[in-house]
Amino acid sequence: MKFWGTRLGSIVLAVAGCYLLQTIFQGNPGMNRLVVLACLWVTLSVSLNLINGITGQFSIGHAGFWMTGAYISGVIMKFQPQLKSMPAMQLLLLMMLIAFIGTGIMGLLVGLPSLRLKGDYLAIVTLGFGEILRIVVNASEPIGGSYGLFVEPKVNSIFIAAMLAVITIAACRNLLQTAHGLEFLSVREDEVASQAMGVNNTTIKVVAFVIGAAFAGAAGAVFAHLEGFISPTSFPMAFSFIVLTMVVLGGTGSITGSVVAAIVLFAIPEYLRGMSVNGEPLRFTLAGFVAFAIAGIGALALAKYTQDRVHDSKGKLIRYIGAVVGAIVVTGVFAAIFRNIPALGGKEIGVDQIRYVIFSLVLIAVMLLRPQGVFGHHEFGWHWFKSKKSQETVA
Amino acid sequence: MIGEWTPLIAGLEFSILPQQLANGILLGSIYALIALGYTMVYGVLRLINFAHGEVFMLGAYTALLVSWKLGFTQENVAQHPDINGSILTLVLLLFCSMAVCGIVGVVIELLAYRPMRNQPRIAALITAIGVSLFLQYSGQLFLPNSPPPSINQKVNPIQGATNIPLRKASAETLNNVSTTTAAYEAAKAAFDAQLPNEESRFQLSPTGQALKETMDEANRARTDAEATANSERVEIILPNGQIVMFFSAIALMVGLHFLVNHTKIGRGMRAASHDFDTASLMGINVNRIVTFTFFIGSALAGAGAMMNATFLGTPLTTFYGVVPGVKAFVAAVLGGIGNIRGALLGGLLMGLAEALVAWAGYANMRDAIAFLILIFVLLFKPGGLLGSAAVEKV
Amino acid sequence: MALVQEQEIAGDGCVSETILELKEATIKFGGLTAVNKVSFVLNRGDLFGLIGPNGAGKTTCFNLITGVYRPTSGDIEFKGKVINGFAPNKIATLGICRTFQNIRLFGALSARENVMVGANLRSKTVMPSSFWLLPPVIRETDEMRAKAEHLLEVVGLKEDMSTRSADLSYGEQRRLEIARAMATDPELILLDEPAAGMNPLEKETLQKVVRRIRDEFSMTVLLIEHDMRFVMGLCERIVVLDHGEEIAQGPPESIRSNPKVIEAYLGEAATH
Repeated sequence: MKFWGTRLGSIVLAVAGCYLLQTIFQGNPGMNRLVVLACLWVTLSVSLNLINGITGQFSIGHAGFWMTGAYISGVIMKFQPQLKSMPAMQLLLLMMLIAFIGTGIMGLLVGLPSLRLKGDYLAIVTLGFGEILRIVVNASEPIGGSYGLFVEPKVNSIFIAAMLAVITIAACRNLLQTAHGLEFLSVREDEVASQAMGVNNTTIKVVAFVIGAAFAGAAGAVFAHLEGFISPTSFPMAFSFIVLTMVVLGGTGSITGSVVAAIVLFAIPEYLRGMSVNGEPLRFTLAGFVAFAIAGIGALALAKYTQDRVHDSKGKLIRYIGAVVGAIVVTGVFAAIFRNIPALGGKEIGVDQIRYVIFSLVLIAVMLLRPQGVFGHHEFGWHWFKSKKSQETVA
Repeated sequence: MIGEWTPLIAGLEFSILPQQLANGILLGSIYALIALGYTMVYGVLRLINFAHGEVFMLGAYTALLVSWKLGFTQENVAQHPDINGSILTLVLLLFCSMAVCGIVGVVIELLAYRPMRNQPRIAALITAIGVSLFLQYSGQLFLPNSPPPSINQKVNPIQGATNIPLRKASAETLNNVSTTTAAYEAAKAAFDAQLPNEESRFQLSPTGQALKETMDEANRARTDAEATANSERVEIILPNGQIVMFFSAIALMVGLHFLVNHTKIGRGMRAASHDFDTASLMGINVNRIVTFTFFIGSALAGAGAMMNATFLGTPLTTFYGVVPGVKAFVAAVLGGIGNIRGALLGGLLMGLAEALVAWAGYANMRDAIAFLILIFVLLFKPGGLLGSAAVEKV
Repeated sequence: MALVQEQEIAGDGCVSETILELKEATIKFGGLTAVNKVSFVLNRGDLFGLIGPNGAGKTTCFNLITGVYRPTSGDIEFKGKVINGFAPNKIATLGICRTFQNIRLFGALSARENVMVGANLRSKTVMPSSFWLLPPVIRETDEMRAKAEHLLEVVGLKEDMSTRSADLSYGEQRRLEIARAMATDPELILLDEPAAGMNPLEKETLQKVVRRIRDEFSMTVLLIEHDMRFVMGLCERIVVLDHGEEIAQGPPESIRSNPKVIEAYLGEAATH
């Protein structure tokens, strides 16, 4: 009885939370879209974490599944226009369900052969799959080819997007609460041993792949109806890398880590884009960027050195602080110097242009300093503030 | 069954097949050059150097910027039409590209890969992806990329093309061509003679009209005959620049083969690729070997980039290296990654496969074929054609 | 004297039902014959030793039995059924589980979680139900946790239940591997050098654990070990391999006095 009480309570809480999110941001069309996108990125990052972090199968073709979902709903709307008479919310839910199943089947088709591979080869094959998909869609005239496809009607629902994110998180978290979830982790840790313990590695990997793909597909359907227009260029290869960065930064295997990293990495560029000085949108000069890059690389090197060679905690702390302060100072000084170089000082760059540069630097920095990600394999929660003793995945 | 396929086969122009295959081999030599970099690095470090395609891109940009410094900018060439490249210019571009790429490769290894050496392979792979993205997107800030510039063709002194006839048109057809041509010329002369008597070309008298119709008729016959002759004649036309490119690539590969098999540092490379840790225990300075490997591999990519950009004149963006990089990687895997001869074989096969896809009329799918080949190779012969698959010890 | 007595006691519980039989099992890797026509029979309740010098093919034998390799020729029968070429997970399901010579634990998981992975083999719920966290799954997970804790107690790791398995000491990791294999409820358990790297005291404890596995958990034990004293004191029957071939078979005392064994193995050891 206690179980059903908790269960009902958490479901009611989740629905109420999503509804609250909707009511808060509904009035603001700009924010509305951003919140939906943030929820989609969370969905993508958590679903990729199920494949990459929890099951340890290094897939980097997640944008491909996202695209599959979006195109499934786009193509259905194109060839079954009578569906437009449905109420928008029901239609979106139906499309998400179809995209979920369709992309899941796609995941099965891609996963069955390719999951025989490991590590870097699997990475390349999944990347290749995403690219083939894009090239094929580009060449397919009936579904718009490179010109793209209009998806009608446009539906914009924070509630549904947030619920999708919550369901994705819940599915992964629930899995890890049970002994079945340990099978996924054991495949990540040692395939030979897990198989010797009776775990069917292939099944586990394919299940993770299919579920991860299916959630990405559902997110794709939401995306298609949010934007109202999709084309192969809406899903560049770089999107796969963004999702990967989110998973890696958050910590492979940490669901909370993926959620936090997805929100942070999505919000920072949007925040910078929205920032303005005296009514003008914020712009950076190349001088500032070069100064920042030099200072950043220097700080990274110092931090790496500290991590490897300095062993007393006080010295470590001083050096880490020094690296941060030094980076800020060096950025300022160098920016002031470079401003006088016409080639650097005169050239302005927008936030969009340095977005991927920052992502790539984050990726490298995380790998150099903390390869297991900020949260490592652990979940972020209240116990972080209590004691560090509980290290187990299963509560 | 066969009936269904007839239109497909009928759509294929067998007379242009040799030309396509030749193009494929020329292109394949460049893929092979890039593939060598992947293969060498993988052989020594078991690392897929994702940033290799970006090194290639930087090589092409180096060639572009040096050629601009030498005065081959669009404006300058327009002002001074007599400016022309020499063999020396080409050698200079090649040297600069190779040097810059080699240094970039070494720096990447030093800053990004060396700290990751004792980490799991996936961590190194993620770092490599990060480096690749970094070069692509930060390059956009510094390198000229919109509109995409390309190296001015004046740089290239090796102009002209070599024509290799494979099959001549039959005597009958040739005879037909000369007869129809003569007929057309006679009709044209007659019409031209009539022309002064006419008011204008467009308002002909009945006599002029009749003459014009005869001439047009003759012209049609001549064109048809020539078309038949063209389809019967099979020949390969190769731009001389690309021939030079091909042989330079082969020469570089022969040089590499000598380096690896007959020098001390080559022996070190082979030892390190066989067993990295043991090699270091045997007193081989593995760090120097790795640096050297990155330098050579990247310099070869630089050479490929310079030749590709100069002789093919493709427009450059900072994503210039992605597609050749991926294809070269596929070539390396196809031949057996870690195997130098495999890279050559894989590169040529890749070029041929691409040419065949284009020839079959799916030119917009030529980038997809690389991934398809990759997936099939990995699934059915993961060791590649000349390699052997590693077995995990339990 | 004490040794003989113990063997007799163990002999009493022996039921002569064949559980595992190798019939001329052979595997070749290219030109190398790693295991050549090895035949032996394990009865239910046996404490069986597999010994031989380095490179004799002992671990390869284990790999054949557990399905890592498929025999080139010959048969492996488990409870009268040929299991050649079955996938390792299938063989584990049938009731054969093993430990590894080079320890293969799930490093990032705790000791208890490691054992729970093994216990999950006998799970009666289906995986999709865990996405919804249905009550039977929760109940079952609790049961498995309890079972894991009990097994950890058996091998003496109760204190280290929540420790990351990668942080355990070498000897503890070996014992954890045994607990993990036991959790799959095997009828036959294969221990690959369980005592390697242990001190005499630990070895003595381990001997007791192995006996307990057989007597209390009624599993048949097949073990590879280099420590002669350990094997001779524990096992009732022993097979000796050398260069992939079986050179002797029998109770410890006959092995000890077998001239072939002394030549191939003990003779070599005696010179140390």
